[in-house]
Amino acid sequence: MIEGEEVSALGVRKRSIAGKEIYFDKDGFLLNANDWSEEAAEILSREMGIKTLNEKQWQVIRFIRDFYMNNGKAPLSSELKAALGWSLMELELMFPGGIRHGARLLAGLPNPQSCS
Amino acid sequence: MSEKTHFIYADNAATTFPKPHEVLAELLEIYETKGITGRGSYDFSIRAGEFVNRVRRQVCKFFGGDDPTRVAFGYNATDALNTLIQGLIEPGCHVVSSRLEHNSVLRPLHHFLQQGIISLDLVPFDSQGFIDPEDVAGAVRPETRFVILTHGSNVLGTIQPVERIGAICRELYVPLILDVTQTAGIVPIDMGKWGIGAVAFTGHKSLYGPTGIGGLVLSSNLDVRTTRFGGTGFDSTSVNHPKTYPQRLEAGTINQLGVIGLSAGLNYLERQGLDKIYAYEMSLIRQLRDGLSSLDGVRIYGAGSMERCLPLLLCNIDGMDSEQVCTILDGDFGIATRGGLHCAPLVHRDLGRSLKGGVRFSLGLLNTAEEIDRIVEAMAEISRFRKNGLRD
Repeated sequence: MIEGEEVSALGVRKRSIAGKEIYFDKDGFLLNANDWSEEAAEILSREMGIKTLNEKQWQVIRFIRDFYMNNGKAPLSSELKAALGWSLMELELMFPGGIRHGARLLAGLPNPQSCS
Repeated sequence: MSEKTHFIYADNAATTFPKPHEVLAELLEIYETKGITGRGSYDFSIRAGEFVNRVRRQVCKFFGGDDPTRVAFGYNATDALNTLIQGLIEPGCHVVSSRLEHNSVLRPLHHFLQQGIISLDLVPFDSQGFIDPEDVAGAVRPETRFVILTHGSNVLGTIQPVERIGAICRELYVPLILDVTQTAGIVPIDMGKWGIGAVAFTGHKSLYGPTGIGGLVLSSNLDVRTTRFGGTGFDSTSVNHPKTYPQRLEAGTINQLGVIGLSAGLNYLERQGLDKIYAYEMSLIRQLRDGLSSLDGVRIYGAGSMERCLPLLLCNIDGMDSEQVCTILDGDFGIATRGGLHCAPLVHRDLGRSLKGGVRFSLGLLNTAEEIDRIVEAMAEISRFRKNGLRD
């Protein structure tokens, strides 16, 4: 548990980032995509084990976020690959937890709720 | 090349895909004349009703049941398992199941366990993925209402020794319910010979039917209470649901399209022959196992010999989350597989993989040896990349 964090009985976590109260689900995904900020992404990435987000990682985060805000859904792997020009192997190993549990989380998208 | 020709589908344990053209053609052809309910008194309706009863006979024979009226259709295996579990349990009863089960069995049982209605014992599986029949015998108590087990694990692919477990249950006068979701259409199932009280099946996996159709086959010495009530097309003056089978376990209009597709799938299997299907699919999975076994950093789980196994293989690449591997297989190689926990959390927990799950390859009749070579090459490349980074 992170300092200053409050956890509800349903596992919803509330914490303050950059002076703003933000709610996360039990897996650390934002409950409201509009609460996202670059500062929040930086803080969450450090907690994920990334020292500093590099330009490639920012490119991925920004693409995923823009795609979601414009389409209301996360990009498919094929859309990600076509837009960014990198293989899924590169993309997946760019973030701890890969695209679904790493990049998506940092981009402020909802939990993909996969079978795990 | 089209997307379809690039695509290797290795997720047949989820659903078989694509369906054989002849199954789809037969489904459409018959639906044109039998796609109505069989509850009217006009000829078309009577013929449609007769068709459904013919499929009940076909299903009964396929599973070695003893009474076609005790074939009840539902949406899928989960639906049928709920019908059986809810219709069999009594307050204070005890149920025996296993740690190999899918959530389709675990969740209904735990619902009643948590409400204090039943007590429950889950027998373990060994390092190869098999249940010991003696563990089942040891778990049965005087108040045990039924034993419910998966015939084939959807995670490890192991086919359980149900002949022996059936004999034990018969000696103890406890019905054995089998979840045949993964085995139906791959290996023969003989309820009468094995002493099975009921099987729950789905149509869309290796029976090659469409989604939305499944059901149960009940032996004539086991009765199940009605837990869903409604129209059945006869005895409409009564406000009480009929006690006769199969209506006792069916409420509302049957999925006629699904029943027709299920029949077409069974016809297809009969033409192919289960023995040939099993031999072919196992040759592919052995090829895959041999290929993956030779790769550094790939860990394979389950039975070493692949005797009494399904054409299914669970593995992981060291240091990688299973879902990452699946995403790469899909995005970079056009290979569809299933990662994660496969809705069977206890299996992964007991394998020590509860957080990461595994990569499951499940093969079907339409897979080819060339596709297996491509899968092995893809896994080799991912494993190399994990270790050394990208090649130029």
